[in-house]
Amino acid sequence: MASITSERKTAPSGTGPSKQAGHALEITRVTKRYGRNVVVDDLSFTVEPGRVTGFLGPNGAGKSTLMKILLDLASADKGKATIGGRRYRDLPDPARTVGVVLEPNAFHPGRSGRNHLRILAKGGGFPTERIDEMLWLVGLGDAADRRVGAYSLGMRQRLSLAGALLGDPPVLVLDEPGNGLDPQGIRDLRELLRARAANGNTIFVSSHLLSEVEHLADEVVVLNKGRLVASGSLAELQTEATFVRTPSCASLTELLEAAGADVQAQERHGLVVRGLPIDEIGDRAHNAGVVLHELSPHSGSLEDLFLDWTGDKHPDGSRSTAKEVVSP
Amino acid sequence: MTWLRLVNAEMHKLTTTKLPWAFLVVLVAISAITATAVIFGTDMDGSKAFISTAADQKSLVAFAANALMGAGLFGALAVAREYGHGTVVPSFLTEPRRHRAVLAQFAAVMIAGGLLGLMGSALTIAGVALSLPTTEYGFMVSAGGVAQVIAASGFAAAAGALIGASIGALIRNTGGSVAAAVVVLIVAPPMIVQLANGAASWVPDTLTKVASGVANDVALAPALAALAAWAIVPAVIGLFVVQRRDVV
Repeated sequence: MASITSERKTAPSGTGPSKQAGHALEITRVTKRYGRNVVVDDLSFTVEPGRVTGFLGPNGAGKSTLMKILLDLASADKGKATIGGRRYRDLPDPARTVGVVLEPNAFHPGRSGRNHLRILAKGGGFPTERIDEMLWLVGLGDAADRRVGAYSLGMRQRLSLAGALLGDPPVLVLDEPGNGLDPQGIRDLRELLRARAANGNTIFVSSHLLSEVEHLADEVVVLNKGRLVASGSLAELQTEATFVRTPSCASLTELLEAAGADVQAQERHGLVVRGLPIDEIGDRAHNAGVVLHELSPHSGSLEDLFLDWTGDKHPDGSRSTAKEVVSP
Repeated sequence: MTWLRLVNAEMHKLTTTKLPWAFLVVLVAISAITATAVIFGTDMDGSKAFISTAADQKSLVAFAANALMGAGLFGALAVAREYGHGTVVPSFLTEPRRHRAVLAQFAAVMIAGGLLGLMGSALTIAGVALSLPTTEYGFMVSAGGVAQVIAASGFAAAAGALIGASIGALIRNTGGSVAAAVVVLIVAPPMIVQLANGAASWVPDTLTKVASGVANDVALAPALAALAAWAIVPAVIGLFVVQRRDVV
């Protein structure tokens, strides 16, 4: 994908993003059950155009199901999901509006990469010259006529991405697009998505590569067991915690948790507090006569935040370990 | 226009896999076997009575029943594999009104199946015609008879392909779809006849013989309509189910 970032400059954008208003994705109180299992539970959030929104959650959190509901591949039991105010099926030209990467292996293994894109181009009515452009863009120009069955996972991901970009759509919905990509491919993907977002496109990308999302996303939406556990600007979310150092960890923890805060013990008499503003933490400690040695904004890594958002609390209030929460 | 685009894409899907070519190889093999039977085969009494009249020869080259069953397997494989490989997802993303996407898929499979039926019939006729000079009999089927046999094969194959495609869309698993197609096209009809003797005239095997002009259990038009009904009923069920079901 050596030239991937130049795609926005070179691609013929017949109905491209620059000629259209942004398409916000709106998820409104969506619930989906499979039997008795609630996979998506009363979920609401908005994905704004011009931003890269990361969609995070442990395996089985409901991310892929939500994406399928958004794309009308699965039906919601309640609520609705719209793209630019319309359901996917009501979009006038869905293939030119939304580019999708869903299944990493959704190819016939005996078909060549070029033929796979030809089929998409014929169905979507895209100009055939886009096929070669996209193949070279994603670095598959030399492998275009090889059977997809002989492709590596990374090459299949690149082919998926080429298919998603074929119609030069203003919206990209990508489920784990970085899977199998080498470091250069991941960097190229990141630059491509950032460039498209800067151009007003709507980019909604799920990933379990937290460090990658940390580099890529402006916003995050985090699911756990089908429910929304966090959403908003990644920068803001990363600084919304407070670090407190006190010799009275136990009593301050009790005090702050009673006020509705989420408190995590750290080494050397430290606490990370979420859910209360820093001023209020200081006031409450002062009023209770608790001595503080440090009170400062805490900027956690996305991984720390993710484990915090998605960790199960044991009945005694302690958190389960990361290993228990996030399956590999 | 958009729908024709979908049909075109579905045709391209079919022609860029080995499936149609594998069936074509089978058709060539069937033709070769039939020709071999003409050259070396005899009746119980050692004679070649089975090719001694125009009617016998027409029965021998009447390929419609084979075409129906073969195209049924072809349709089941072609559509079930779409679900197995996940390649049906881009079709539903391109045309989220699924009945249109599924109709395009069915149309493409019918066209390809019908063409295979025509080719199978033509190859069989060619095989018999070319092997007959090794016997004491010439090729006696009239041009009209040949045309009827070929047309019946094409029609039966298109119907069979639609039956198979519908089963593939309903079951979505390749092995299960092939097994179900075998049950519907081969196992179930004789059982139906055993349960209700009056149904014998309306099972696919009889209907294809009527269409080919080698049986007259019912008139041609009702036979063609019944054959179409055998295909349309599962297709409608398939369309309805795919429309309502999640794509997973």
